[in-house]
Amino acid sequence: MRGLRVLAVGLCGLMLALPLAGCATTPPSAEALAARDPYEGMNRQTLKFNGKIDRYFVIPTVGLYFILVPEPGRRAVHNFLGNLSLPTIFVNDMFQGELKRGAQSAGRFVINTTIGLGGFFDPATRMGIPGHGEDFGQTLAVWGAKEGPYLVLPFFGPSSPRDAAGLAVDTVMDPTNYIHFKQHIWWAAGREYFTLLDLRAQTYQTVQSIQRSSVDYYSSLRSLYRQLREEQIRNGRAKGQDLPDF
Amino acid sequence: MHIPTTLPLVRRAVLVLAVLLAAPMLMARPAAAANVAESFVGDNVNKGLQILNDKKLTTAQRRDQFEGFLLSLVDVRRVALFTLGQYRRTAPPDDVEAFVAAFKNYAVAAYQSYFARYTDQTLKVTGSTQRSPTDYIVQTQLIDPGSNQQPLEVDFRVRTDTGKPVLVDVAVSGIWLSLEERDQFVAFLGQNNGNVRTLISHLSELAVNLGKPAQ
Repeated sequence: MRGLRVLAVGLCGLMLALPLAGCATTPPSAEALAARDPYEGMNRQTLKFNGKIDRYFVIPTVGLYFILVPEPGRRAVHNFLGNLSLPTIFVNDMFQGELKRGAQSAGRFVINTTIGLGGFFDPATRMGIPGHGEDFGQTLAVWGAKEGPYLVLPFFGPSSPRDAAGLAVDTVMDPTNYIHFKQHIWWAAGREYFTLLDLRAQTYQTVQSIQRSSVDYYSSLRSLYRQLREEQIRNGRAKGQDLPDF
Repeated sequence: MHIPTTLPLVRRAVLVLAVLLAAPMLMARPAAAANVAESFVGDNVNKGLQILNDKKLTTAQRRDQFEGFLLSLVDVRRVALFTLGQYRRTAPPDDVEAFVAAFKNYAVAAYQSYFARYTDQTLKVTGSTQRSPTDYIVQTQLIDPGSNQQPLEVDFRVRTDTGKPVLVDVAVSGIWLSLEERDQFVAFLGQNNGNVRTLISHLSELAVNLGKPAQ
């Protein structure tokens, strides 16, 4: 796990460095600057690369996953992976001063790990403790860090310097990275692989719908990503306050 | 002698009474208007879901009914002009009108495609926020009776400044559709020298493709 995650973080660092090199040769267009996307040219190339990985590697394995694992099994995998990320979510809840949400994360972890048989089942939701996401990118935003320019990271997709840094910190904070046992590398690889499968299985229809209805898929993703992150940072509060007038 | 003293008293009493009677009405106005926006969303969106869920309709009938339904609720012209961004001011008026027409077809196909995924679900209004006297965000949840997952949060932006409520935007999990469309269209126009005709032909192709079943 650690090896793969360190590779991921290394790639993030590389991606943060590349735009700085790229900007010396290709001046960004007025539209790119207005969209806070000075590295648009390189980002579009990265999106194409990610699209090929998705098309030739990820989608075929997602297809197999759908065929081989029935819906209850896929849901159990989703629950299990979500449970593994709860300690990191809890720490970020606390960093943001969200005590109630922190208590929910801790409660979910205890209930789902025990009654939920290691996290494969989600009795906490049935008991009225809903799940939520939180990461260090959001914590940085709550602490006042600016988002910075839009970035598309290889393998990871839409991001920003703030979110890429958050991803690195979340990796370091994840306590499961510090549990060592004999077959650790296989566990680590399996977790990453199933995280990818689960994410793509969950978003397959949505991504297909965006691709079908987009005039420009790249700028559509950019807008969706930014809006989604803003919503996540606000934790669903203050809805519609900063909307433009029609 | 009594007249000069009693009349002001009566007037004062009448005035106080009038203010007391009017105050709750004045205070109730935003809430009443919010209820109008909430009822508008609650009543109509479930009708739209029913059209999409009606198994007796053929594909063409469903599309026609949904189109009629959508155009009666959404201020498509207003949304279309918003999505053009800064190009609305610089594009030739004929191009802008042609764009509004193309956008209408695209919006019907896109909305039908988005909401077709939620046909078995029911919509419940959970509240509303007033942004200005004529601008509301109505919060709803799409509830899937066959699932124990958390309901999907869908917000509707309703304007009432034309006298009757109209929909101008919809957000799924905090993502506003018109904002996303504007960001795409402006980026597309930026890459095509601001040529609205190119965008129109692209939108027309998309509307046709969205009408076909997904592969």
